[in-house]
Amino acid sequence: MNDVPRRTVRRSGPVAAALLATVLGLTACADSGSSGGGEGGEESAGSIIVITPNPVGGNNFLELAVQGAEDVAEEKGLELDVFESTDPTSIQQNVEAAVREKPDIVVGLSFSLQDAFATVPLDNPDQQFLLVDGCPDPQPENVTCAAFREHEAAYLAGVEAGLLSETKQIGVVAALDTPFIRRWVDPFAAGAASVDATVTSTPLFVGGDNPFGDPARGKAQAQVLADQGADQVLLAASGSNVGAFEVATAGGFQAYGVDVNECASAPGQVVDNVLKNVDVALAGAVTEILDGNTGGFQVYGLAEDGVGLTALEDDVDSSGCLIADRPDVIEQVREVQEQIIDGTVTVDDPAAG
Amino acid sequence: MDVFTLAFVAAVLTSSAPVLFAALGSALCGRAGVFNIALEGQLLCGAFTAVAVSWWTGSAWAGVAAAVVTTTVFSGVLALGAVSWRADPIIVAVGMNLLALGLTGFLLRELLDATGTFAPTGLAGLPDLDVFDGIPVLGALLGGQTLLVPLALLLAVAASLWLNRTSTGLRLRGVGEHPEAAASLGVSVTRYQHVTVLLAGALCGLGGAQLSLGNVTAFTENMTAGRGWVAVAAVMLAANRPLLVLGACLLFGAAEAWGFRLQGVGLPQQLTDAAPYLVTLIVLVASRLRVRRRLRDVDPVAAVSAAHPEAVVHPEETR
Repeated sequence: MNDVPRRTVRRSGPVAAALLATVLGLTACADSGSSGGGEGGEESAGSIIVITPNPVGGNNFLELAVQGAEDVAEEKGLELDVFESTDPTSIQQNVEAAVREKPDIVVGLSFSLQDAFATVPLDNPDQQFLLVDGCPDPQPENVTCAAFREHEAAYLAGVEAGLLSETKQIGVVAALDTPFIRRWVDPFAAGAASVDATVTSTPLFVGGDNPFGDPARGKAQAQVLADQGADQVLLAASGSNVGAFEVATAGGFQAYGVDVNECASAPGQVVDNVLKNVDVALAGAVTEILDGNTGGFQVYGLAEDGVGLTALEDDVDSSGCLIADRPDVIEQVREVQEQIIDGTVTVDDPAAG
Repeated sequence: MDVFTLAFVAAVLTSSAPVLFAALGSALCGRAGVFNIALEGQLLCGAFTAVAVSWWTGSAWAGVAAAVVTTTVFSGVLALGAVSWRADPIIVAVGMNLLALGLTGFLLRELLDATGTFAPTGLAGLPDLDVFDGIPVLGALLGGQTLLVPLALLLAVAASLWLNRTSTGLRLRGVGEHPEAAASLGVSVTRYQHVTVLLAGALCGLGGAQLSLGNVTAFTENMTAGRGWVAVAAVMLAANRPLLVLGACLLFGAAEAWGFRLQGVGLPQQLTDAAPYLVTLIVLVASRLRVRRRLRDVDPVAAVSAAHPEAVVHPEETR
């Protein structure tokens, strides 16, 4: 038996912990003292700290990323800490706190950490950083980037929606109107239009004070789309999706999930999911950095199996998704997938330039 | 554009109801002379308690009751701080808002073992009303709503009647407008203020429960997302008068719902975000202009003093 060094998964950033400690009149951070050292006196192979832009729970993308970090930590015998941020200020503080603990790699998740990763690495040239799902411009030498071509998979979902829509109206509920989030919105419409030019797509953006966690607003917007007759709707609003899935469950429309298999969120009403295999990308990049290949910028698309659809997975029949009943549609989607990979079809990237 | 359909009005009622509960509470406090802007925190407290207790007991109404009790207790912080100990109500309220945000996130982990979002299958939400089924207009407006939505509307009317038509309402207004005069007539100022702040807490508890068990059936960290501040704006706009508060909340709700529909034809999302605040500015400017015009028609001196209060020379200052 190999001795696997103990990993401490601390599910809150030092900032949040300190705040709580103050609030509750406690005196010390709960478990920061116990995170050093492996079991049985064995030296740890190394350590990584993962910093999230939002709370992990309810956020499929972050849950999958942390899963990937846990997997690679297990495999390599690394210590793992997770610092969860709640807002832009705590992101910056968490990045600085992570650097002070001097792990082998400081891992940042999502484009929200792009600003912090543009500046902090310059002040800490000996520290290695990895940003998954984004890249600062210009990219500092000690920052490795892993990003995705989500628009390729969103386009495929659009193809499905175009083929399946009966009302010829589709829609998207997205969190914010930013070029990055447009990577789901615009290709979904373009994919649908590519198979049926009469299909129109209506994008709605949750916005407000808490766009990634306002289920009531997400539901109100989903209801607007349902009332307007949209029958295929992509839900790309993170924590606000909970409310939007309630409209799908009530029969308002058939939904498409994002990042992971969300077909259980509204059983019998979810067609497919725009997958992003962030766990694969994160584990791969961490391995690369530990092997000494730092500073790269790897982009994962359909060809690299970094993005995809549940429909294209081997286990689609047991996925609980509606698309499993339509092998004819899956066949057409596979053809488009091949065309994107070999370059006959190009998907415009809304976040480019 | 389906702006004046019944479905649109129903959507406005749904999204306005949590805001209306909070705003009514704050308006009553305002009339009693306590500035209550701890609405965001109290709504969040109510939303969390409602979901947690509904999950544990399997009864949404138990969740609502617990939300009312817990939020009333929580509002005791404002009652003690701002009324008993005469602390600055704004500082107490800001503290309460921050505390509620951190504490609900913390308790979500500790008590419900979830982070970010809690929406398990089997979480009991409030049932939709069915007593109006088959009645033409009411059925469409209230059919898909919870009991709390018509209750919020009724409470706005009741609060207005209470303030203007009852002796306790009169005393409450007296406490707010002239505490010394009220005290000289034997009215206990602090008691009226305490009770009003706690009452506002109960109303916020109802608002939070409507948000997390009515509008949706889920709790998400910071799910109030600024609704408490929209309620503060409504109270300011309505100058603490309950029926105008109702109007302001519906106006904000309509602006938001209309914005969602206009987004579909190209209105930027950032403009929908700003909708309630834009509406507030427009109404404030419009009402101000009307007051000035009316004053100018009646009395030129009053019009000048309304426009330039700094230019008015008071007789006692010249002495």
